[in-house]
Amino acid sequence: MPIKTAIFIRRAERDDLDTVVAWMEQSDFTQFLYGDTARSPKQIREQIVSMLGRSAGHPLPGGIYLLIDSEAYGLIGMLSLQNLSWRNRSCNIDLYIGNRDLRNRLVASLAAFRAIAYCFDELNLHRVGAYIYAFNAPSWRLFEKLGAVRELTLRDHVARDGKLHDLYGYGLLRSEFEAFCKKHAQLIERSEITMARPEGSVAEATGTTEAAGATEAPQ
Amino acid sequence: MITGEYGVIRTAEQDDAVALKRLYDPSQPRSALLDRKRELLVPTLDELRELLNHKESKRGVFYTVEDRCGEVHGFCLLRGAQPEVSYAEFVVMFFEDADYATPLADETFGFLAQRAFVQLKLNKVVAQCLDGEAAYRDFLVCHGFESEGVQRDVLFNQGRWYSLESLQLSAVSYQGSGGA
Repeated sequence: MPIKTAIFIRRAERDDLDTVVAWMEQSDFTQFLYGDTARSPKQIREQIVSMLGRSAGHPLPGGIYLLIDSEAYGLIGMLSLQNLSWRNRSCNIDLYIGNRDLRNRLVASLAAFRAIAYCFDELNLHRVGAYIYAFNAPSWRLFEKLGAVRELTLRDHVARDGKLHDLYGYGLLRSEFEAFCKKHAQLIERSEITMARPEGSVAEATGTTEAAGATEAPQ
Repeated sequence: MITGEYGVIRTAEQDDAVALKRLYDPSQPRSALLDRKRELLVPTLDELRELLNHKESKRGVFYTVEDRCGEVHGFCLLRGAQPEVSYAEFVVMFFEDADYATPLADETFGFLAQRAFVQLKLNKVVAQCLDGEAAYRDFLVCHGFESEGVQRDVLFNQGRWYSLESLQLSAVSYQGSGGA
């Protein structure tokens, strides 16, 4: 499956820095992913430079940071593949839709699909895992729609706003993703064509409205 | 050093590196010895000595479990125990599967649970076991751990896939069972 269609994955350029900093300063980022709200913009910027410096072109990187881009909407979000094991052919995925206007729309679903397709079709992985907070229902619903199985429910595992919350662990095997692609091949193709149109609500056009805010890996 | 009725639990020392290395058997992978990427890497003796030399390493404090005759049967530790996260990973490793069903194992459980729930006041402890660690799983379940699910195909080792089960024991359950 070609990666560069309406939504594509690419390595970050220096010119992307301001956009990514702005995303990481959003309160949603800390809520759904990680980070310290007290961090200064300078600290965020230094972290991002460090992350982007980890080249996906390295022969065996342990983690990969990429951006999700599109011809129709521009930058959509960021993708982080953590604990990448080349022996087990597995990784954990963090996905953040930085452009708030695109959440709850088909474009977010396609971005998640494209990110997972990258893991299986380009990196040749066997398993993609994701840890998602229970209160982040749009994200885990999206992963379930993509065929991922909720394998874990870690009770009272994460503290947010003075309360303990459950953490869900999802797993998606290559065979399950291939079955998903086979089953929804026509829908995916139609969605990509619709996405390529410069205007109009693609979500309404296809009837799919779930979207991802973020998924998270354990600290 | 904790002297129990059936054994002794003490802080592991550099000299225990040889015994610890015995646990790294690639034909019988142990969940507790996988790294963050769930890979089984066999360290050298020097690396294990270095690990045991750091009493407060990231991996936590290793304790050696001996019987009353001084023979080492295994190790235990609470990994990543920090008050702010309110939980830690509960790890017990015996060389022999049969040891998990002995009074020595019960004493080891009691020692770690006491540290976790009474001294550190954690909310819960979590444990993991691969699908080849049936004796360890039975030991955990026997002491009140409940399954939180199974992650499929997380480890590929010697030509086969292994799944990883996560279990937890909450402070409430532990105290409700009369543990503290």
